Amino acid sequence: MTTESNEPKSRYLQHLEIITGPLEDKKRWRQYKARVKQLPENYRIAVEALERYLMHFGPADGAGAMAMYGDLAELFEQSAADGTPIRDIFGDDPVEFAEAFMANYPLGQYRARERHRFASAIERAAGENPDREDRTKR
Amino acid sequence: MENLTEMLKGTLEGCVLEIIGSEQTYGYAITRRLNELGFADVVEGTVYTILLRLEKNGLVQVTKRPSEHGPPRKFYALNDAGREELATFWAKWEYITSRIDKLKEGGR
Repeated sequence: MTTESNEPKSRYLQHLEIITGPLEDKKRWRQYKARVKQLPENYRIAVEALERYLMHFGPADGAGAMAMYGDLAELFEQSAADGTPIRDIFGDDPVEFAEAFMANYPLGQYRARERHRFASAIERAAGENPDREDRTKR
Repeated sequence: MENLTEMLKGTLEGCVLEIIGSEQTYGYAITRRLNELGFADVVEGTVYTILLRLEKNGLVQVTKRPSEHGPPRKFYALNDAGREELATFWAKWEYITSRIDKLKEGGR
């Protein structure tokens, strides 16, 4: 995406964004939704179904998630232009496709926390790194 | 042959690197190439996901070119890191196939 700016944010904007979340993310989300709206109906239905799945299991928010939705719009715009059948985008197993696609972006907070907790528990059970601080117990 | 998906999974990225390495190309063409090669189950979405990964890992150079219909197309070419990764892939492939062939022949 080329819409990002590297200019430092004003103090006002910094404070506002604590409450609202980054405004660029919101803008990018609206751009994504507008792109999806332009798609032929069956592609739009497919993207929205995938979007729902990603909302639950993908990165929840932030720049990582926005980059993901941008790429998603790109994939479906290209597929619609090429006339790629829906099944040829997803393959036989849409869940597997969604998981492989998602793996390119930062994990959602919930998944990241649980993975870390799990790995640390095994590390302790295996007797490795006993001094390591357990950051998951809060 | 069909139902190769599981077995192909780890090697598809290497195949895509090899295709991109021989000429600058785009997702749709890469998928067709793999289908023609005999991997009928490989779909656009899978190739797109691999291309995303290659891009994020800094193995390819991406150029957007206007297309006759639809949005600009992304063309992929290998960079130095990509060529290195491709060489590593073939070395690993050589190792795995030689070990498995040995197993099949009943050797030790």
